[in-house]
Amino acid sequence: MWIVRTSQLLVVAIVAGLWEAASQRGWVDPNLLPPLSKIGSVLFALLHDDRLLSDLALTITEVSAAFTIVGPLGLLVGFFLGEQPPVYRALGPVLHVLLATPKSIFLPVFILAFGIGFLEKVIFAVTLSFFIVLLSGIAAAQSVPAGLVTVARSFGATRLKLYLFIYLPAMQPLIVEGLRMALIFSITGVLLAEMYGSAHGVGRLIFAWGEMFRMPELFAGVLLIVMITVAVNELLRVAENVGRSRRRGF
Amino acid sequence: MNHRPTARAGSVEIIKVERLSKQYGSGANSLRALSDISLSVSEGQFVTVVGPSGCGKSTLLLILAGLVSPSSGDVWIDGAAVTGPLPEKISVMFQEAWLLPWKTAVENVEFPLMLRGAPFAIRRPRALSLLQLVGLEGFANRYPGELSGGMKQRVAIARSLVQEPRVLLMDEPFAALDEQTRTRMGNELLQVWEKFGRTVVFVTHGLTEAIYLADFVFVMSARPGRILERFHVELPRPRTIEMIGNEAFGRLRNRIWHLIGGA
Repeated sequence: MWIVRTSQLLVVAIVAGLWEAASQRGWVDPNLLPPLSKIGSVLFALLHDDRLLSDLALTITEVSAAFTIVGPLGLLVGFFLGEQPPVYRALGPVLHVLLATPKSIFLPVFILAFGIGFLEKVIFAVTLSFFIVLLSGIAAAQSVPAGLVTVARSFGATRLKLYLFIYLPAMQPLIVEGLRMALIFSITGVLLAEMYGSAHGVGRLIFAWGEMFRMPELFAGVLLIVMITVAVNELLRVAENVGRSRRRGF
Repeated sequence: MNHRPTARAGSVEIIKVERLSKQYGSGANSLRALSDISLSVSEGQFVTVVGPSGCGKSTLLLILAGLVSPSSGDVWIDGAAVTGPLPEKISVMFQEAWLLPWKTAVENVEFPLMLRGAPFAIRRPRALSLLQLVGLEGFANRYPGELSGGMKQRVAIARSLVQEPRVLLMDEPFAALDEQTRTRMGNELLQVWEKFGRTVVFVTHGLTEAIYLADFVFVMSARPGRILERFHVELPRPRTIEMIGNEAFGRLRNRIWHLIGGA
């Protein structure tokens, strides 16, 4: 295991080294791709900048709101669809069309409907994430083996106890996966909406830095977002693996 | 055999089925699975049900278990009309063990008691003693994924006995196992049965297994399933592998074979 970890770190180090060298030695235009060391110091400075911190706080609040709504909502609706095969058969094709539709093209409509602000960001992120989380919920419901349910019924399990002792533990890995999707797409949705039109937020900052050709700041912002996303994602993956290691086949 | 609480010849009727029919769907697409089945089983008997595949023997078992409702007819078990699962009277086992993969062997055995809210101090010792009965005392803390197919079915046997049901319903429980394991599991099941004296209804498509285990063999016809005949197996207990080779066994086996083939 440590060999894998070490080689992964090595790859990251090599990429960082190449980046630094390419920029320093002029293999690429340093105005377009500033050296990593410079981006690092800009990022460090930004983290002490009140303006950025308040923008970051806003963005995190928007993401949290969207995640809190779409995670449970998507999973619950998905669960009930997955539990009702006739309903799923009827609605399935529609859902897949909605899933495939790029939600970003509706951003102007969201702005017209909800204005530019907190509500619009959250509602757009929820819309963007909903169908993906929904599919996780459907998959979770369908992943429960019918035999386990039959056996538990034969032991006199009521509907509530079936949900509690069979469905929930059986669906746990896919529930965590659904929450992971909810989080990733909530982040994407909020940033997208901020970049498209906003007065505040990290997305707007990054977009503005791009417009002003302030590449070190732009890359520092991107790096910050990437680090936060990866950290949160890893956290959820750990939760997922805890569930999986307890699940060792029938 | 003598310490079994109920005599094999006991005449207390524990399972009674009257004019049972089951039809799936309606109109032109309907499927008649079972037709006019009546039967009676006395307490403590080991009965097997054989028939061609698709004859509805599994459906019959699910109806006895209260997991599927019949289209018409009635089922009584231990004096109670069966309209849904009766966990304190009936246990069911299937071809797959269906253990909860996130629970250990002993937790799986306790599971029916946990569902009824029995405290740990009561359910744990009982589950452990049942695991010992099926020879798995050393595997109490293993997960199902770490057990072989035969071991999983032994855990399932222990689990189905944990509520001390009056009737054990088994739907081809050993069909997925290799032949040697199947024979050994059959013998172990008989030992457990001799000890507990519960009534067993065992569905199988294996004629040898059906005769070897049973006091009575019910033979079913092809769809829609009907009871063609009930055979009394008069081999002494405990049964031994050698009996499979003897003449009486062979004669009975041939009669059932022709009955199913000619149906």
